[in-house]
Amino acid sequence: MASIIRAASRRDVLKIAGVGGAGALLGVGTGRAATKNLSFMHESSFIQTYDDFFKKTLVPEYAKASGITVDYQLISVGSLQTRMATAAETGNGPDMTLTFFNWPFLFDEKLADVSDIADEIGKKNGGWYDAAKEAVIVNGKWKAIPFGNVGQIMNWRSDWFAEVGIKEFPDTWDAFLEAGTKLKKAGHPFGLELGHGFGDNHGWLYPLLWSYGGREVEPDGKTIVIDSDETARAVDYCRKLFHDAILEDCLGWTDVNNNKAWMSEQISCTNNAESILWFAKKQFPDIAEVTQQSLNPQGPKGRFHILAPWSHAIYNFSPNQKEAKYFLVWLMDPKQVERWYAAADSYYAPYLQAYDDAPLWHVEKRNLPYRDSLKTSHLPGWPAPVSRQSSESVAKYVVVDMFAKACTGRPTKEVIAEAKAQLQQIYKQA
Amino acid sequence: MASAHTQALPGPTLRRRPTFSLRRWTEREGVFSWLMVIPPALFLVALVGYPFVYGIWLSLQDRPVAKAGVFIGLDNFITDFHDPVFWRVAQNTFVYTFAATALKMVGGLALALVMNQEFKFKNLIRAVMLLPFIVPTVLSTIAWMWILDPSFSVVNWFLVHSGLAKPGPSWLGNPEWAMFSLIMVNTWRGLPFYAITLLAGLQTISPELYEAATIDGASTFARFRYVTVPLLKPVIFIVTMFSVIFTFSDFQLVYVLTRGGPANATHLFATYAFDVAMSGGQFGLGASIALSMLPPLALLIAGMAWYMRSEKT
Repeated sequence: MASIIRAASRRDVLKIAGVGGAGALLGVGTGRAATKNLSFMHESSFIQTYDDFFKKTLVPEYAKASGITVDYQLISVGSLQTRMATAAETGNGPDMTLTFFNWPFLFDEKLADVSDIADEIGKKNGGWYDAAKEAVIVNGKWKAIPFGNVGQIMNWRSDWFAEVGIKEFPDTWDAFLEAGTKLKKAGHPFGLELGHGFGDNHGWLYPLLWSYGGREVEPDGKTIVIDSDETARAVDYCRKLFHDAILEDCLGWTDVNNNKAWMSEQISCTNNAESILWFAKKQFPDIAEVTQQSLNPQGPKGRFHILAPWSHAIYNFSPNQKEAKYFLVWLMDPKQVERWYAAADSYYAPYLQAYDDAPLWHVEKRNLPYRDSLKTSHLPGWPAPVSRQSSESVAKYVVVDMFAKACTGRPTKEVIAEAKAQLQQIYKQA
Repeated sequence: MASAHTQALPGPTLRRRPTFSLRRWTEREGVFSWLMVIPPALFLVALVGYPFVYGIWLSLQDRPVAKAGVFIGLDNFITDFHDPVFWRVAQNTFVYTFAATALKMVGGLALALVMNQEFKFKNLIRAVMLLPFIVPTVLSTIAWMWILDPSFSVVNWFLVHSGLAKPGPSWLGNPEWAMFSLIMVNTWRGLPFYAITLLAGLQTISPELYEAATIDGASTFARFRYVTVPLLKPVIFIVTMFSVIFTFSDFQLVYVLTRGGPANATHLFATYAFDVAMSGGQFGLGASIALSMLPPLALLIAGMAWYMRSEKT
């Protein structure tokens, strides 16, 4: 232990060792020279205060407690996956990395098993949400420690909705269409992305499919069931919604466009993460005032959301895996992690139930639906487990394009048949 | 004295033998030329040859990211062959390349002809003309993103305010307009390359030829048709070849503006390969898509070369 953690004092060593009993779990020092540095790769957050808190507060605190300096390597937005792949392919890179979406599955062979500390962290924090487990458990092993969910829900303009006589956000997709039709006529169309972004399209199209009972494959991860009446109803609905309520440009949107359209008051409703309100509050307070956030509408088969996990993983080629585990245990201790969550308001919805009523949720009441959405959130490809096939389907935009093609006027049967053909191609080896 | 002499001269007698001198050896032409060629050759092997061969090797494997690959022969290519999106991507790439290259050729030639005239601030204007080519693509493309934005688009503002259209077209949201917009942006970006290269070509044409043609009674068009075009042909060929290669494998422009949307209407080989390989984690399949660019490109280039050669003889 002493060889791993060069503590400033004996008391600090005990403090760290005491966290989750990690010391006992991980065994003692390896006899190697003590590590003084750990590298931690992260993508720049949209919430600046979040990265600042880590660099200015957590890094010095950990250095004081353990003598280890954590090198927080920030990567520009959108390039983390490429960097992760480079590290995984070359076996050379940071000790720890942030992961998004289903990446623990894509990179599982290069990530250390962190099941031991995951249990401990869960126990310390009131237990994990099921969604967290769906996000990181690969073949029964935790391949990352879930951190927070960057949920996607509906953001809407309460003033414009009120203008057409709607006070509450529509609870069903049908009511949503009705509202959108009125609003588009009033010159305030919806702005829901149907293009090739990576978040804001999946954020509502997968939930739409699921809430009508449609799915790509059965839970066995093999049987393709996209060609169903349920899918057809979802596709028909989407075409009508697009025609009657949505801005035509949404078909070509990527993830930046809806934010731009929101801040310039072009659209009355979109599907986005909490950053849209956060940004409006900073830059456009008038718009922020009339921005409301609600859960996705429900369909005949329920209400759904997309799971967008941020997790922390340790590369299994890192010579400092034990030290990294210590660090993650320390980081996820309520004393530290609660403050880190709070530094980003509630942008990263904790997967730990101890924070369900934490002060961070009371900073901005309008963010509460992000917490509530966790119970109905799933990764693309659900209810099948994540696999390389489901990842390929996401990368090829099979579901998104099925809806998008229908919106350009193509017949429902045809677009579903094309999606089915693509899925058959993708799943042929499963 | 004699003995002293012989003792004093062992060196020269030894040196007269064919001993090894590094300096002289490197100055031999056969050796020197090789020494000059080897570094760039190694450079090419390391930075072009190796990735290329590795790409071929990847395309023959079932190779998920961060996992060991399994050799599967041509299976990835067979998968591509049955993938409807792949054919859509192929079609997009050809349309994009032909349309953009044709526009650049016509526009570039026109621009070069204008630039070849004498006028005030000629040098300044020539420099300004190069701007689209100099500004990093990602930056200029972001500017285009604003130009093509339905709400803020200056184009749409003009169309709406002049009563030509209401509302203006959705430049990136409508599948056909999106492809059109990308071709326009690519043309805008590539035009200076054409223009400046053709201008260099124009300046090598001797004015005497024009004078002779004028004396023979050739009209302006006839001079262009029978003097300018034939003499410019080699330059046109080279610049078209480069342009076809760059346009065919374009990535940045599409990636910034549409990422291949709407519904794959603007997906090109390079962007599709990137999505499959990086986002989807299928290195093998991604490499096979990227490599599929090779045969059509090679055919195009070979065809052009053959055409040029047959013209000469």
